[in-house]
Amino acid sequence: MLRPLYRCLLRLHPSGFRRRFADEMLSIFDHSVGKPAALRLLVDGLVSLARQWALRPEFWHELSPAQQPAADGIPSFYTLDPFRPRADAVIHGLVLSTALFCLTCFAIRYSWIHILHVNIPAVQFDSPRSMQPSAGAGASATLERPTVPPRWQDKTPIALSTASHSAPGAVAMQNRALQPSATHASETLGSESPERSGRSPELLSTTPVPQAPFQPHVGTRVDQPQAPQPKPQGATSAMIRAMAEDVKLDAAERQRVIDGAIANLTKYYIYPDVAQTMADALLAHENSGDDDAATDGEVFADLLTRQMRDVSHDRYVMMVYSTVTKPENPPPSLEDVSRYRKEMEENNCTFEKVKILPHNIGYLKFNEFPDASICGTTVAAAMASLNHADAIIFDLRDNPGGYANMVALIATYLFDHPTHLNDFYNRSEHSTEQSWTHPPVPGNRLADKPAFVLTSLSTFSAAEGFSYDLKMLNRATLVGETTSGRGHMGMGHRIDDHFTIRVPGIRVVNPISKTNWEGTGVKPDVKVKAADALKTAEKLAERRLQKK
Amino acid sequence: MKDSAATFLPLSPATLHILLSLAGEDLHGYGIMQEVTRQSQGKYKLGPGTLYDNLQKLIQRKFVQELGRRPGDEDPRRRYYRLTSLGRGVLAAETDRLADVVREARLRLQIAKPRRA
Repeated sequence: MLRPLYRCLLRLHPSGFRRRFADEMLSIFDHSVGKPAALRLLVDGLVSLARQWALRPEFWHELSPAQQPAADGIPSFYTLDPFRPRADAVIHGLVLSTALFCLTCFAIRYSWIHILHVNIPAVQFDSPRSMQPSAGAGASATLERPTVPPRWQDKTPIALSTASHSAPGAVAMQNRALQPSATHASETLGSESPERSGRSPELLSTTPVPQAPFQPHVGTRVDQPQAPQPKPQGATSAMIRAMAEDVKLDAAERQRVIDGAIANLTKYYIYPDVAQTMADALLAHENSGDDDAATDGEVFADLLTRQMRDVSHDRYVMMVYSTVTKPENPPPSLEDVSRYRKEMEENNCTFEKVKILPHNIGYLKFNEFPDASICGTTVAAAMASLNHADAIIFDLRDNPGGYANMVALIATYLFDHPTHLNDFYNRSEHSTEQSWTHPPVPGNRLADKPAFVLTSLSTFSAAEGFSYDLKMLNRATLVGETTSGRGHMGMGHRIDDHFTIRVPGIRVVNPISKTNWEGTGVKPDVKVKAADALKTAEKLAERRLQKK
Repeated sequence: MKDSAATFLPLSPATLHILLSLAGEDLHGYGIMQEVTRQSQGKYKLGPGTLYDNLQKLIQRKFVQELGRRPGDEDPRRRYYRLTSLGRGVLAAETDRLADVVREARLRLQIAKPRRA
C-alpha cells in the first residue's frame, strides 16, 4: 500500500531528478524494514518533492550531455532547454489548432455580427439534386435554389416583381407574387389586364431565408419590364457582377441617397403621414450632422435604416447597400424563366407530400406557393389524387409564401363558387385590386369537405394569406402556431448603383375583417406546437367525420 | 587545489557526511546512507530525498562522479558513486577547517574554565 504511494511521490518529482534517482530511491524503500521506516521514507519523499519543485529549478530537466566541441568552421546550434514535446502531443496540437482555425473562419463567415469585414467565401456543396434526380408526385422536393445568389454577393434581401398577364385557361389567374424573393430592386408595376390580371408585388421579408425563386414572366402579354432577377448568369452576369467597389461616401453621395430615400418613401410608403415622419427624421439627422461619420456604404445604410425605423417602428423599411454594381431594371431573360420552370419541375413544384391518411383524410404538404402558370398542372394532379378524401389538411408549416395566383388556385378547390379572398391596396397608385378564387373546378368534390391548415412561426407571407383568407371565410380550421405576421408587400427601389430602399407600398385588406395580419400574425383556431399540429388536426378531422 | 576548494567551504553536514562516506570506497546510495549512520554512530540519519538532492549538486560541482550500475550487484537499480579528486580536496579542506575550529574551540574552552584557587 505504501510502496505505490511512494512510487507516486517519486513520479511527481521533476523529470530530471526522477529519471536519475527514482529507481534508486525506490530500491532504498524496498530495503526498508517495517512500517515506521516506510512512513519515514514517505515523509522524506514529500519533503524532497517540495524541495525539488520549489528550490531546484535548475534540476527540473535532465542535465544536458557534455557538448561536443564544434569543428572549426562548421556552425553548430545548441538548445538551452533540452525539453522536446512528444510526437502525439505535436499531432494533437496540430489537429486542435486546425480545428480552431476552421471554427474561427466559420464563425467569421456565418456570424450575425459582422465586425470584421473579412470576406471568406462560402463552401460550395454539391446540390442535393444530384442525389435526387427527379421528384414525382408525393416525392420529397429539394429546396435548393440555385437562382438565389450567395448572401455575400448581394445583400438585398428582397426583390419585388410585378407581372401582368391576361389570364386565359386553367392557369389564368392573378399572378400576384407574394414571396420575398432574392435580390434586385426595381419597380415595374404592370398595367392592368382586363380581368383579375395584375401586379405581383412580393411580400416584404426581413429575413433572406425564405427566399423564393424570382418570378418568371410567362404570360400572354408583357407590358412592362419584369421582376428583377436574382442570379446574374450568362450574358448579363458580367454586367451585374461588376467588380465590387470600395466606395467611400462623401457628403454629396449621402445627400443623393437621402434625397432618393425621401422621394421613394413619399411616393410609395403605405401610410403618407408615417412616410413624412420618416423623411423629416432623415433630414433632421442629416442637418444635425449625425450622418457625417458614415463614409462606409454599409454603415450608412444601417444608419438610415435605424433612423427610419426609430420613428416608423416598421421593421420592413430598409436601406440596403450592395457592393455589387447593379444595372437599371434588368429585364428577365428567357433563360431565367426556363431555369425557374426546370427547377420547379425537378422540385415537384415544392409539393413534398400528397397522401391519404387513415380515415380517408387527405394530406398536402407544400413548401412554397409557386407560380400557378408553371405549376398549375402539378396542383391539379395533387388535388385530383385527394379528390375523394373526406377531409383535407394543408400543411404550411414550412411554407415561406410565394405567388398569390397559387393561393387563389388552391383555394378554388375549397369553394363551389368564385369567392372574394382579399384586396391589395396600392398606395402610390391609390388603387385596389381584388383577389378571387376561380370558377369551380369540374368534378371537384372537396368544396364541402372539412379543411385544416397547419401553421407555424415559419409560415410567411402568401402562406399566411392563404391561412387568413380561409379563416375569415370560416372555411378551414387553423391548427398550430401564430404565423410570422407579414401582411404588407413592398418593393425595393433602386436609388443608385449601390443603394436600394425597401418600401412597403401595398397593403393586403381582407374584405371581411377589413384589415390583415401585419405585425400580429394569423392566430390559429387550435393553438398547439407546430410539431404536434398534424396529429391534432388528424384527431379533429376524425372527430368531425364521426359526427357526420 | 586547496585554495580553490576553500571557496566551497563550509560544507553542510549532509555534504560533509556524504563526501566522508565516499572517501573510503565507491558506494551506492543505500551504502552511503548506512555508512553515514555508522560514522555518526546513529546520530545523523540521512533520508534518500536529502541524499540524492545533495548528490545531484555534488555531481554537478564535480565533487562526486557517477559510475553507473554494476552487473553483479544484488539490486540492479543501484548506481555507484565515487569521490573525485576535487571532492577529496574539498573534503580535506573542510577537515582542516573543522580541525582549526575544534582546536580553537578547545583553546577557548580551556581559558574560560574557572581555576581553583
